[in-house]
Amino acid sequence: MVISQQSNSDLKTLDKFRKVNSTFPKTEQILEYKRQGKKVFGWLCTYVPEEIIHAAGALPIRITGYSEEVELEDGDAYLYVNNCSFSRSCLQLGLKGGYDFLDGIVAGSTCDGARRLFDIWHYYIDTPFHHVITVPRKYTEAAHELYYKQIVEFKARLEEYLGIKIADEALVKSVELYNESRALLKKLYELRKLDTPPITGAETMEVLDASFRMPKELFNKYLSELLDELSKSDNAYKSRARLMVVGSVMANPEFLKCIEGQGALVVTDELCTSTRYWSDPVILSKDEPIIKSISRRYLNNFPCARMVPSDERFNRILALARDFKVDGVVSQIIRYCVPYAHDLPLLRDRLQKIGVPLLALDVEYGTSGSGQVQTRVQAFLEMLEAKKK
Amino acid sequence: MITSEDRRTKISSIVRACRLISKMNPPRPELQKSEALYYELLASYYKRLLQAQEKGDFIAAHTVFFPSEVLYAMGIVPMHTETTTWTMALFLGDQAEILSAGAELGLVPEICSPHRGLAGAFYLKSLPRPNVMLWSNLVCDNTAKSGELLMELNDCPGFFLDRPFQRSKDEIDYLVGEIKQMINFLEKQSGKKMDWDKLSEFVARMDEHIKLMQEINELRKAVPSPFPFQGYLKLLTIDYLFPGQPEATEYLKTLRDELADMVKNGKGAVADERFRIMTLFVPPMYLTGFLEKIFQEYGAVSVVEPLFTLWMESGLDPSNPLESVAKKSFLIPESRGMYGPLKQQSLDEIVQSAKDYKVDGAMYWAFIGCRHTCATIKLVKDTLNEVDVPMLTVDCDLVDPTINPKEEIREKIERFFELLEER
Repeated sequence: MVISQQSNSDLKTLDKFRKVNSTFPKTEQILEYKRQGKKVFGWLCTYVPEEIIHAAGALPIRITGYSEEVELEDGDAYLYVNNCSFSRSCLQLGLKGGYDFLDGIVAGSTCDGARRLFDIWHYYIDTPFHHVITVPRKYTEAAHELYYKQIVEFKARLEEYLGIKIADEALVKSVELYNESRALLKKLYELRKLDTPPITGAETMEVLDASFRMPKELFNKYLSELLDELSKSDNAYKSRARLMVVGSVMANPEFLKCIEGQGALVVTDELCTSTRYWSDPVILSKDEPIIKSISRRYLNNFPCARMVPSDERFNRILALARDFKVDGVVSQIIRYCVPYAHDLPLLRDRLQKIGVPLLALDVEYGTSGSGQVQTRVQAFLEMLEAKKK
Repeated sequence: MITSEDRRTKISSIVRACRLISKMNPPRPELQKSEALYYELLASYYKRLLQAQEKGDFIAAHTVFFPSEVLYAMGIVPMHTETTTWTMALFLGDQAEILSAGAELGLVPEICSPHRGLAGAFYLKSLPRPNVMLWSNLVCDNTAKSGELLMELNDCPGFFLDRPFQRSKDEIDYLVGEIKQMINFLEKQSGKKMDWDKLSEFVARMDEHIKLMQEINELRKAVPSPFPFQGYLKLLTIDYLFPGQPEATEYLKTLRDELADMVKNGKGAVADERFRIMTLFVPPMYLTGFLEKIFQEYGAVSVVEPLFTLWMESGLDPSNPLESVAKKSFLIPESRGMYGPLKQQSLDEIVQSAKDYKVDGAMYWAFIGCRHTCATIKLVKDTLNEVDVPMLTVDCDLVDPTINPKEEIREKIERFFELLEER
């Protein structure tokens, strides 16, 4: 069945993910963990290895802000207006008690917004355990060695705080579990390479959002069910244009719905809430400590704009554009998200060289897409259609 | 077609402006020698850049807080990128032209204006083309992300120096390794060799500079305080442009001696000192004269800048020059509030300096392009309020006058002084 982009497909398994997201930030799965007397740790950036937290018997969940654009009075007051709305939104949610279930918060020194969010959280929100990981900006062996030592130190601090030892066997199991998630998500994305994918970009984001807010054991079960359902479904989305979304952190499916509502289909992305989160597995090796394999994966993972040289990131974006047969790229950059803003002229130039146009949108975190966004997307689609002719 | 003459224009204008300002603004008698030296030094920095361009000497453009001692020790001519932008704003009033060129490149207004302006200036080919671009993550995402575009604009190679976030032994070792790699890169690109004896000499002198700045700060504790508002920015400029250099030693010694005389004679920077102000972050460069007048008018003086000039530690070791250069990047006062975890110790030092310098009030210059410093505004305000020091926050931009009209700034400051008066 070829269906229009605006329609909601009848994927029953999606409801399970939607149910998880509907109670964010205090999802039923997180509360159940707490009821069992287990610990929950929030992480702030994709350079924090979840496997370490999981292997310690705790639940790692991602700290994100409100799922919609809201007034950020507290965020503005505590972080000032010129910090990105993602940081301000997260902090405000924290200040309002949205994350009062957390036993700890772990951040990386990834960008100014994230590190200041961590600093201010530390002083104003009563979360018992705090840890920040120095994340190098390079991929050199020395950088890997430093990051490895940082992860070893993080593990030691976690062990000390929890009064446990994290065994290698537990780490291997956690790596296998998280790799399974990554493999399943890869399968989901492979379906999006089809000429008429069976799932939209907005629906995919709903799946990914849930992945941050529930145990991976259950998430993998749900995702396997979804893949099974998709394999039997005759969903086939035809669109005016195949788009890739790149840029700042973004976790609102409504924003993608707004783009897809114009007749486009988002077939892939370069976001830390999706492709950059799951794309690379941890490859265990008998020749090195497990922590080293984990740290290597996290530093080498599909890079954030913070990393140098930026061409590592650009080249992976160009590869995605080719693999997913992308007609155009939508860059959505949150105001004051400086790493991505600096990259924009360079990325535009590189995409131009392979004939892929870019639409640059300034947004705020949580936005569901304003009339202005709709108008600009519409004009962009018209341009892409004209280009095809 | 852009000619080498065009590229000279802005730098030549800065050199001319330094001489003119020096002649047109008669310095206060007590600080006559140091002020004359300051403009002479600033002119010499840019004159050297012009000469390097003419002679084809190797030029390295570098971002703020970059260890330029290394460049001096290699005989490479440095070009401090951010200082160059704000000097253009301060002396030439060229902000609109270069910021608009930055916008044309696709750099959005949320990006720090000195970086946008600099990219614009290179895009317009108004500055000498560097042979290499050097940049680091000291102190923010803007510095970390600015280098690659500048490399492309200048069609030159570059090196990114990754300065780690925290101060552990592992991280200092990593930074030492980074600096070694940078030296290898520079030796390869320039054909010049590192002169290790010179680097040791500069490290020893940098240590002396830290001690001199500490002595200057001690003198500023006096009531009345002898250091004028503009002096703070001059101190920064000298520190940024001439780290470990003999001319900076001369400047700092001269300034220290002049301030010591003033203290001895009970002379203050303002005629009748009424308000002792703690300055947090940096006021707009293009408004320094304007602000100096308001401060004079109200009998106010900036007595301490804990996030910029308050050096707490020295102890650089010339026998370990690379380790010392790495260590210095963790000692700079700016790392207290700009890069690295925001530690309780930093807040305690702010409070202690409020007491030591007998501060009546604090002014936080909320530079709109500097997200990581502005994020500390509430925390610093709450901390200072605990010791009964009120803090004023002034929105501003370092180089762009369109962000906040100067009359609005004046009004805010005047209201703050009135509030202090009532207390």
